[in-house]
Amino acid sequence: MASRKKSLLKVIILGDSSVGKTSLMNQYVNKRFSNQYKATIGADFCTKEVVVNDRVVTMQIWDTAGQERFQSLGVAFYRGADCCVLVYDVTAPNSFKNLDSWRDEFLIQASPRDPEHFPFVVLGNKVDLDNRQVSTRRAQQWCQSKNDIPYYETSAKEGINVEMAFQIIAKNALELEAEAEVINDFPDQITLGPQSNRPSNPDNCQC
Amino acid sequence: MEVEQSSIRSDSTCEFLDAEGDPEATDPEANLYQEADHDDPEAEQQQNHSIISELRDGLGRGDGSTALSPEPGEPAKGLAASVESLALSTSTSAKTEDSSSGVEEEYDYQHDSLWRGQKKHIFILSEAGKPIFSLHGNEDKLATLFGVIQALVSFVQLGQDAITSIHAGGIKFAFMQRSSLILVAASRSNMSVQQLQLQLGDVYNQILSILTYSHMTKIFEKRKNFDLRRLLSGSERLFYNLLANDSSSAKVSNNIFTFLTNSIRVFPLSTTIRSQITSAIQSNCSKIKNLVFAVLIANNKLIALVRMKKYSIHPADLRLIFNLVECSESFKSSENWSPICLPKFDMNGYLHAHVSYLADDCQACLLLLSVDRDAFFTLAEAKAKITDKLRKNHCLEAINEELQQPFNVKLYQQVVGIPELRHFLYKPKTTAQLLCPMLRHPYKSLEELERLEAIYCDLLHRIHNSARPLKLIYEVKEREVVLAWATGTYELYAVFEPVVDKATVIKYVDKLIKWIEKEYEVYFIRNHATF
Repeated sequence: MASRKKSLLKVIILGDSSVGKTSLMNQYVNKRFSNQYKATIGADFCTKEVVVNDRVVTMQIWDTAGQERFQSLGVAFYRGADCCVLVYDVTAPNSFKNLDSWRDEFLIQASPRDPEHFPFVVLGNKVDLDNRQVSTRRAQQWCQSKNDIPYYETSAKEGINVEMAFQIIAKNALELEAEAEVINDFPDQITLGPQSNRPSNPDNCQC
Repeated sequence: MEVEQSSIRSDSTCEFLDAEGDPEATDPEANLYQEADHDDPEAEQQQNHSIISELRDGLGRGDGSTALSPEPGEPAKGLAASVESLALSTSTSAKTEDSSSGVEEEYDYQHDSLWRGQKKHIFILSEAGKPIFSLHGNEDKLATLFGVIQALVSFVQLGQDAITSIHAGGIKFAFMQRSSLILVAASRSNMSVQQLQLQLGDVYNQILSILTYSHMTKIFEKRKNFDLRRLLSGSERLFYNLLANDSSSAKVSNNIFTFLTNSIRVFPLSTTIRSQITSAIQSNCSKIKNLVFAVLIANNKLIALVRMKKYSIHPADLRLIFNLVECSESFKSSENWSPICLPKFDMNGYLHAHVSYLADDCQACLLLLSVDRDAFFTLAEAKAKITDKLRKNHCLEAINEELQQPFNVKLYQQVVGIPELRHFLYKPKTTAQLLCPMLRHPYKSLEELERLEAIYCDLLHRIHNSARPLKLIYEVKEREVVLAWATGTYELYAVFEPVVDKATVIKYVDKLIKWIEKEYEVYFIRNHATF
């Protein structure tokens, strides 16, 4: 399938309420930042086209609600994600602690085929703030313990590392996609039974 | 936005979700998908309304309320407005500024009035929300919209329910979930939800016809994030043609009526000619093992069908064959060997079709469908013999004669014999075959055809209404008199000049029915022969 021009990646952003998921997405997609906090209800969607290894990739970014009361979008919502971005706030230790449960939640809901190697990326956001509480070292250790999840420190406000982080996200997801081969086995030949397995339709549907 | 009404049927399908409200009063906070640059410090604390919470409210209230229509004079724009604003407030047009080349300018369909004004949209997406197909616009650029659709479907699924339709703002959104796909039709026409779903069913069958059900399911079992476009690329024309078979394309044709009545049309031929054709196929194919169907078609109509004993072909499958032939010009230039899945016959495997036109001087297309993937040469040989035989007994001429007439003369004359009869659809109960005269004044323009289509959609819907089916409808409309009549032996839908009175209509219908009965063998095939 080398002739394929384009790819589409479904990227899901998860993390506690107010860690900056929507802001990261907006910084990345629209190059905009707002100090005002507005809770996401349910989910928000963005797309952005990027070029990775000379290929045009459309990123379909699914920004989710951190607040529990808005989270019930259903299991199907996470299904078929190509990458999951876990976000925490470096000034809020609890948001870091919760990464575990966000990761587990995702793996349960999305149930990817190979959970061990599913591409996650962890972003420690709000590094522009002074009152940092979670050290880089601590975050890196956690990421290493989870099968070496790539870790970046970002500031949606200043635009620090945002572009690069998403570039890595696209790259990792794409690599995984490339590995998977299209199943090319031709379906089995139809066997005609001694009796018709297709009884005549009662509502005179036959021609 | 205030949700004034949220109703669902109690039979666990979410049939109607009417959320009324004044879109003018839509608070930006009320949107599920907020724009980043709307700043509102109070938002955090507000118990916001959103589509999702409206849906949730609606579902939670599952009291089976039946008040489904909007208040008179107040169009139910609310949900449509919200659904549109879902799309509106997603940011689709972001261009990577730092990548110098390779990224084409993104086009923002959701702010494009032409795109938004389309009469009908068809979207196909995977269960994961990945775009597969859009009738209008590049599906890649609509990725956000597909995300919204998936979120709606997923949310309703969470309540052990399935979303069937949304009615709002003069638009019907019909949903269909099949295996790992979500199909959505959004229509401004007066096609009913059931009729839209019929069309979505045809679209779904078209996908199966290309991939087979087993293959597609296997792929999605292995990888839910699979991009199905990888396997459908090159087949897009089949979808466009299938969906263009109605007035949403610039084509004025009767094709739309075959899918609305779940039928096919028959190529008119005298019984002698048709039985000669059938026996020519029979005699040259009867010894071929594994040959299941032989189908001869011309001009989108069935000339003859010969089948293996105990097997029959479903009209939906035949329509896929018609569609394939109609949009494959290459069949005209050479013999072809093509796998095709006929989902109603066997959704899990391919039949192998030898496809060719009878001769350069006879544009009828013969398909020999076998389960044997190595049967090409056997079938090619059989086809050559069939053509020889048909040439010898002048059947090719007979087909050409019929083809060269701009329309069927007899049928046209019959309609001319009743000048006030503008158009009709006649379908016998015993077969899924449809008789309709060519479109003529005033339905030759696209706009008028759409009006005719709307009339038939409405009649068909009421005759086939599962809750309260009607037997007879007579209606004097502003611009025509319409009649629908379902008897034990046929269904008739007829459109007359607005001036005729009831007695005359009855007289004409009687005349028409008598004529059809007399000419039945020419316009219908009673039984399909076997090998």
